[in-house]
Amino acid sequence: MTISEFILDRLDRMLLRIAFFFAVSAFLLLTGTQAGIIALLLLACLLIFFAELLFDFWKEKKRLDELQAIMRRLDERYLFTECAPRPRRLYERRLFDLLRLSGKSMIEAVSDAHAAQREYREYIEQWVHEIKTPITAAKLICQNIDSDTRRRLSGELAQIDAHVERALFYARAESPEKDFIIKKTALSSICEGAIGTHQTLLIQNGVRVETENLEETVYTDGKWAAFMLGQLLQNAARYRSAAPVITLSGKRLGRQVQLIVRDNGIGIPAHELPRVFDRGFTGRNGRSQGGSTGMGLYLCKRLADALEIGLQIQSTVGAGTCVTLTFPAEIKLT
Amino acid sequence: MQTIMIVEDDPVIREELAFLLENESYQALSVTDFETILEQVRSACPDLVLLDLGLPGRDGLSFCAAIRKIAPIIVITSRTSALDELRALNLGSDDYITKPYNIPVLLARIRAVLRRNGTEDAQPDMLKAAGLSLSLTKGTVTANGQTAELTRNELKILAHLMSHAGEIVSRADLIEALWNSQIYIDDNTLSVNVTRLRSRLEGLGLLDVIKTRRGMGYQL
Repeated sequence: MTISEFILDRLDRMLLRIAFFFAVSAFLLLTGTQAGIIALLLLACLLIFFAELLFDFWKEKKRLDELQAIMRRLDERYLFTECAPRPRRLYERRLFDLLRLSGKSMIEAVSDAHAAQREYREYIEQWVHEIKTPITAAKLICQNIDSDTRRRLSGELAQIDAHVERALFYARAESPEKDFIIKKTALSSICEGAIGTHQTLLIQNGVRVETENLEETVYTDGKWAAFMLGQLLQNAARYRSAAPVITLSGKRLGRQVQLIVRDNGIGIPAHELPRVFDRGFTGRNGRSQGGSTGMGLYLCKRLADALEIGLQIQSTVGAGTCVTLTFPAEIKLT
Repeated sequence: MQTIMIVEDDPVIREELAFLLENESYQALSVTDFETILEQVRSACPDLVLLDLGLPGRDGLSFCAAIRKIAPIIVITSRTSALDELRALNLGSDDYITKPYNIPVLLARIRAVLRRNGTEDAQPDMLKAAGLSLSLTKGTVTANGQTAELTRNELKILAHLMSHAGEIVSRADLIEALWNSQIYIDDNTLSVNVTRLRSRLEGLGLLDVIKTRRGMGYQL
């Protein structure tokens, strides 16, 4: 609050008060009081009046500054009325109480929403675990039927499994810090895990996978990294060219290690590249192929951020796409 | 024959897993009474226990340490959180596999745990079929007193054909078997590799030992 704001706020009453002083002075003058005494009285009244104004301004400013400082220090600003000191004046106190009631109902609404979200997340996780039992049973039953039907059914089961995994990781990405454990992991084991999971899809699409230099080790959560790589492999199989080849290569870059996933697929138009990590973005390729959810790369980005993995994508239409995962440097504890 | 005990409450998975293990020439024992798991493990003394965590009434993890004193354990569960895995491994479990598992991967890890615990019958190093003998560790094939070296791809293809000697192996099955050995090839590459393998075998004086069955696959 500045002094001009303060004056502007009280201008009407100030003018009224000054007009009143002059009216009283005029009355006294007409009833025969000496002009000198009136001048003295007027001066005294005006002085007291301005002193009072200044005092009010100083008090209000101090209080506002204090409240603003409290607000600035709060992490959850909706808790303001819980932390601010209760005012002394009746009018302010009533306003404060009203604000507090409004804040309270807000806090309740927020915590209800949090609880509902947590319960939903827990239910999704539980559901994912339950659905895995019948998927496993179906996979085992598949082993005993003739090979052509088995392959087709396995393909469908693998798709179900991929969708279920995405749901699980989506729920996990909400509070990622709880669920991953960073361990020394070889790139080869991440790659073998991801390829194994999506083997049926890759074989069905006639994909050849070449690997090079995967002896490098990184510090990350192997399962999360394999899930991310799995999303990239699925995309490569889905948006493939006539003779699809995926190359997985490790590369040491100073203290960091990169995993480069290169395909020779149909590629992504340049103007769509900045948006491919957005939630629900499907782009031209997704629309023309159908069945695209726009979730795979979005989840990759979320998980990569949580694991502090750098994620870059380059693509040329008709030539292929290259995604680079840059794993964080090993932190030496001394 | 090695005995593998299955502790799993889902009846379909239990039966199918037992069937699968018996096909792989293990002896499978299924636990159906979950009140007396420890006693059953103690009396059967299996070479390996496949332990599910979500058992009726009790958490499989609570048995882990006690079972581990008798037999190695592979935990098989639908719980995928990193914390569960860590707890299972800390309680002595030898491996941790999440459902739904890839069946060849499951079998490979069973073999690995059995081998580590020294109960696995030594894997045959030599395969013999159709007048060929194949050394898996050296990567060489011998016939008519002559020996030729094979590349990794050729070795795996020949090994798969020889272990199914006389049968028709479809190209799709062959590709699947190769992928399970971390050789991620496509159909064309398979043709190229088979052609190379044939010419190597011709060098040993074996003409047309791998027959192409049109529309069906290969046959040794």
